[in-house]
Amino acid sequence: MEQRLLSGGCPLWLIHRPGPEILSAKLWLRGGSSADPAGQRGAAQLLAGVLSRGCGPLSGDALADLVEGRGAGLRCEASEDGTLLSLKCASEDARLLLPLLLQMVSSPWLVEDQISLERQLNLQTLQRQKEDPFQVAHDQLRHQLYGDGAYGHDPLGVEAELEQIGQDQLHQLARRLGQQGAVMVLAGRIPEGVDTLLLEGVEQHRWPTTEPPRQAGPAGLKHASLKSSRDDTEQLVMMLGTTTSPLGSEQALALRLLHCHLGIGMSSRLFIALREEHGLAYDVGVHYPARLGDAPFVFHLSSSSDRAREACQELLNEWLRLLETPLSDEQLSLALAKFRGQEALGRQTGSQIADRHALVLGHGLPFDFADRSLREAAALTPADLHKAAQALLLKPSLSLCGPASAIAAAEAVWSSHPLNR
Amino acid sequence: MVQLDLPDAPVICLDFWCQAGSCYEGEGESGLAHFLEHMVFKGSKQLDAGEFDLRIEALGGNSNAATGFDDVHYHVLVPPAAAEESLGLLLDLVLQPRLDPTDFDMERQVVLEELAQSEDQPEEVAFQQLLRLSCLDHAYGQPILGERQALQNHSPASMAAFHQRSYRSDRCCLSIAGPLKDIGIRDQLEQSALAQLHPAEDHAGPRPLKLHPGEHRMELPRLEAARLLMAWQLPGAADQQTVIGGDLLTTLLAEGRRSRLVERLREQLRLVESIDLDLNVLESGCLVLLEAVCEEEQLPEVRQEVRAVLEQLQDQEPSNAELERAKRLVGNGYRFSLEAPGGVAAMVGNSTLWGRHHNLQAPLDWLEAWTVERLSKDLICQLSPELAFCLEAVPA
Repeated sequence: MEQRLLSGGCPLWLIHRPGPEILSAKLWLRGGSSADPAGQRGAAQLLAGVLSRGCGPLSGDALADLVEGRGAGLRCEASEDGTLLSLKCASEDARLLLPLLLQMVSSPWLVEDQISLERQLNLQTLQRQKEDPFQVAHDQLRHQLYGDGAYGHDPLGVEAELEQIGQDQLHQLARRLGQQGAVMVLAGRIPEGVDTLLLEGVEQHRWPTTEPPRQAGPAGLKHASLKSSRDDTEQLVMMLGTTTSPLGSEQALALRLLHCHLGIGMSSRLFIALREEHGLAYDVGVHYPARLGDAPFVFHLSSSSDRAREACQELLNEWLRLLETPLSDEQLSLALAKFRGQEALGRQTGSQIADRHALVLGHGLPFDFADRSLREAAALTPADLHKAAQALLLKPSLSLCGPASAIAAAEAVWSSHPLNR
Repeated sequence: MVQLDLPDAPVICLDFWCQAGSCYEGEGESGLAHFLEHMVFKGSKQLDAGEFDLRIEALGGNSNAATGFDDVHYHVLVPPAAAEESLGLLLDLVLQPRLDPTDFDMERQVVLEELAQSEDQPEEVAFQQLLRLSCLDHAYGQPILGERQALQNHSPASMAAFHQRSYRSDRCCLSIAGPLKDIGIRDQLEQSALAQLHPAEDHAGPRPLKLHPGEHRMELPRLEAARLLMAWQLPGAADQQTVIGGDLLTTLLAEGRRSRLVERLREQLRLVESIDLDLNVLESGCLVLLEAVCEEEQLPEVRQEVRAVLEQLQDQEPSNAELERAKRLVGNGYRFSLEAPGGVAAMVGNSTLWGRHHNLQAPLDWLEAWTVERLSKDLICQLSPELAFCLEAVPA
């Protein structure tokens, strides 16, 4: 591993690994959909989509010809906390393609015609997502957990606001790209001289940025609520969740182990309790993404309408169990084994490795954060995990999507359950 | 058994393949192949229900399985030090399932939930209907998850019979990829249930597919955008060179902004939110499936433009530059898929299962052998609009 600093201030990490002649590159920029300006929800994703539609000397078509002509993959996407540019290519093409990442963020074309197309595609995707009851329940819960706060909307945006975002707004946003910090990570077979190429800048242009600082991200709401959406489906989708704490915060590691205990693998607590012991669901799990701010911690499952009452009861019971009963030593050992296993399984490809390091560094955490976490996790006790659950998981909210009768059954369970008192 | 040494990989993949997909189901057996895949994880003669998952995950690994039309596979990813123990567990689990009646009834509920979850996705309903109408009574037209009523009727005995006749020595393959140094599995395999398997008594391969061109329009509740779905048939997986050619053709047509369909329908005319063309490699006959997502009122124009793009390709062969671009994309996609042990084990496992023995370089050589003339002569004509089944799904 080597560390460099690009002339404009962007840290560059090179992770050399043996294996096939493939290179993965990630450029992570702080400021995703949570930084969408007021009245412009969806702007970060729209900008991300337009970045690959022309930059530097290349039109959108020329850029696509270059990338696709080399059989490479290039993606730009905004998430809640950042915008990620990903390139995967044959190592022999790295010299040709890598500079594109810097050109896209430093000199995007932002042509009105291309903005219009990208905006139309995003609006259509938002509309189509409503077909999926999981998406409906998820969107609903997001609003319950974050209101109109920075994490309160889909990175794709809010239709009425997205429709109004134009070239001027994107130019303003593009000028600020990287101002809150950025980091580039390369992993795989890195050809000699590629770092020099990047260090020299693109056409003598320095893209000014800094190492992403460690700072607090957006907060979540801390009160419980119930929301339901009626839909003519076979199943009722249930999501039970709350907002917790940022990646790297004091009790986040304890929550990560609880996540492993509850939702990782077929020996996980929720899988056994809901699926194996009761046959209530096919898909059941926990959603706990890494976030700069208060991350959501969510149980999710879908169950047939006629079993909604039982499924809701069991789901709420499992959450209550977390608050009332510490894990046994055996359960903690298994959770630790899964945590270690997840780390190993997440390092199989150069793309996975670059992705994970870009995320950690983008959060202002040290390069060896994952290894440190592995060591620190081994020292945690069942009492530590229980304390974290009691501190962070006290007041979950419930989001439902499905037929009216199933919603009524689940709402009745919710209103009388001890978790809701 | 096939194994491939990947000395630098951090984990080993053990991948057990069997010619026991849904197309081997007989009368009244709808959904049985997939249901069996679920039941396998409910324990064996030596392992209690859930014990396999617990032990594999305690070793820092994970496991999963997938049932297709032609085959089923069960795969485990573990740290190298845990490979020998995991192999014993995997073979025991897959080859000697317990099929306990109480577990059977519980797991049936889980499969029915999986079916209900799938039926709540209107896009999946539309695709299922496309296959049903275009493949008619062929197994590829029937749902892998099974029909609800048939699932209610299955019993542990009928499942045991399916397992007994399908999981045979000449229909199975164990594939291993990862750092194999210091892994001694030969003796273990000789003592395992795998070595005790007998060949099938009557092994008929999958029935050839004959896709029926036609068209259908359906209204679907909860659909938010219209879909144009089309299906074509290409030769089966055994014709490996044609499979690669099919990959090239679908890439040339719909992979990336500069591909013909994407450029015309999404970028220029802005008629669709997305347009995809996928090659599904199947033994009885590969299926090329097109999906365009658009507004309902745009459907006629979308259909017309798809037709125009396909006819233009038939009238005038693609340029060499287009072919080179497609070769790069397909070749790199193949190389990228082999970066992780799971991808390697799946590729060599599936090939070996179906008697296609070749080294990892061979597909790249076949790729290079394609020319625009050959593509036009052998393949483009098979993607004619007249040969397709076309389904329009619109919001109810």
